[in-house]
Amino acid sequence: MTTPPGHGPGGTRPPQPARSVTLPPSETVFEVGGLSVFYGDHEAVRDVNMNIGARQITAMIGPSGCGKSTVLRCFNRMNDLLPGARVAGKVRYHNEDLYGREVDPIEVRRRIGMVFQKPNPFPKSIYDNIAYGPRVGGFKGNLDDLVEETLTHAALWDEVKDKLRTSALALSGGQQQRLCIARTIAVEPEVILMDEPCSSLDPIATAKIEDLMEHLAQEFTIIVVTHNMQQAARVSEQTAFFSSEIDGSGVRHGRLIEFDETGTLFSNPSDQRTEDYISGRFG
Amino acid sequence: MIPTAVTSDPPEIPRLKGRGTPLREQFFRLSLWASLAIGVVFLAGLLTYVVVEGWPRLNPKLWTNFPDIIDPSNAGAQSAITGTIWVISFTALYCLPTGVLTAIYLEEYADRDRWWNRVVEINIQNLAAVPSIVYGILGLGVISRGLGFGQTVLTAALTLSLLVLPIVIISSREAIRAVPQSIRQASLSLGATQWQTIWRQVLPAAVPGMATGSILALSRAIGEAAPLLLLGGLTFITFNPTGVHSQFTVLPIQIFNWISQSRAEFTALASAAIVVLLVILLVMNSLAIWLRNHFTRRW
Repeated sequence: MTTPPGHGPGGTRPPQPARSVTLPPSETVFEVGGLSVFYGDHEAVRDVNMNIGARQITAMIGPSGCGKSTVLRCFNRMNDLLPGARVAGKVRYHNEDLYGREVDPIEVRRRIGMVFQKPNPFPKSIYDNIAYGPRVGGFKGNLDDLVEETLTHAALWDEVKDKLRTSALALSGGQQQRLCIARTIAVEPEVILMDEPCSSLDPIATAKIEDLMEHLAQEFTIIVVTHNMQQAARVSEQTAFFSSEIDGSGVRHGRLIEFDETGTLFSNPSDQRTEDYISGRFG
Repeated sequence: MIPTAVTSDPPEIPRLKGRGTPLREQFFRLSLWASLAIGVVFLAGLLTYVVVEGWPRLNPKLWTNFPDIIDPSNAGAQSAITGTIWVISFTALYCLPTGVLTAIYLEEYADRDRWWNRVVEINIQNLAAVPSIVYGILGLGVISRGLGFGQTVLTAALTLSLLVLPIVIISSREAIRAVPQSIRQASLSLGATQWQTIWRQVLPAAVPGMATGSILALSRAIGEAAPLLLLGGLTFITFNPTGVHSQFTVLPIQIFNWISQSRAEFTALASAAIVVLLVILLVMNSLAIWLRNHFTRRW
């Protein structure tokens, strides 16, 4: 069933298994056990075990090609869209199997939203961008109020309130990304997945997104993939370090190397590879 | 602190003067212009020729009167003009929805790994290369005689639809494929279904491209004479179509008809009809451009 906290799965299996940690007293949103992701015959990610707590920020770091984005996409079944992608192992959301037979990926994505690497607003007005999710979800209330609330919540209202009907594409990159975050929270999900949300933004825009993330973490569970270790250190409570390994038959897989409280992982990592990565010796 | 000026050796003055455009580059540019000129000059020559030739007959009689085999000075092309409009409208009605829906299936739903989808794809590409007279034979054998629709507007429109369907499908697929994947992902990640994503995001974004491709396809259909020659367009028609089951003639066939008459008056009449055909094409294309811009601006 669940992985007992404090024990790595598999025990003695080399290489060192990921170290699970006792979560803070918040409830567990995701329980991942023995997760592997295949693209065709290739096992892109092997045997990931982690528990993700509610209303906090979990960061996933690691070098390119280590499978962190792939794992992120398992949480809202975006991997379903890739032809040939297959998921094995356990991903439980509030103790329900995300890949169960009766689970509708549409319902999953309404609860578990996603923000992408490149800002991707719809080529519509700012208003319509926010209203899109509620509209397709059959929202019956007052859309005007919802749009205002959402934009206020995302700290974007003051910047855009006079141009709600203009194209979202006219906004700056940072504003577009915050609009995408706002668009995601407009459907009132529980979890927001962010796939390198700041990688195309300048430091000022990045700082604004980070502020927003910390603000939103009071209500939402956020999982963020980032290339930026400082960002992980700044915003997250938990950090997962992924890296790729070559197994006995010469095939490269993404592995979860270490998963711990952010402070511990950065100041006192238990795995040599983590230490090498965060001290800039590779990756 | 102000950095001190460089005191060492005086810097070498860089040579910025050009060496002139190399001969090869000039030659390349010249051949580009020459290629462009071939198209433009011939088109301009052709246009001038038909306008000059048809000028005496470019009067309202051309569209108010019907063909007259006895008196060319009073003959007009009204039955051919209305016939063209009838046929092309119904062609659009049949081939646009079919073509767009096929394109959506192939781009958004079809699994490329399945052999039957690949067979369909290859065949559509092949169909685009089939000569139009073959479609005429198909229309005659299957639609006109087999289905018993006779030599009517309906048969002509169905045949032309089949003829341009591959072009509509291919250009619609291009337009759908041009919609960035990130837009689909954004929509799906907000809990939209696949159909909602296609209907609310992909199609609106693809409409400009689809419109362009469809207009080009219909332009081809409007100028097509060969398949319709087999479908009874050549009969001497002196009335407008009254419905899809009516007999008809179209402009290219009327032009063909007049050109083959020996009297010079009929040749002038043919030139005038060519001008009318070109004007219709121009109006259609302008409409398409207007529609496209309209859709683009709504974003």
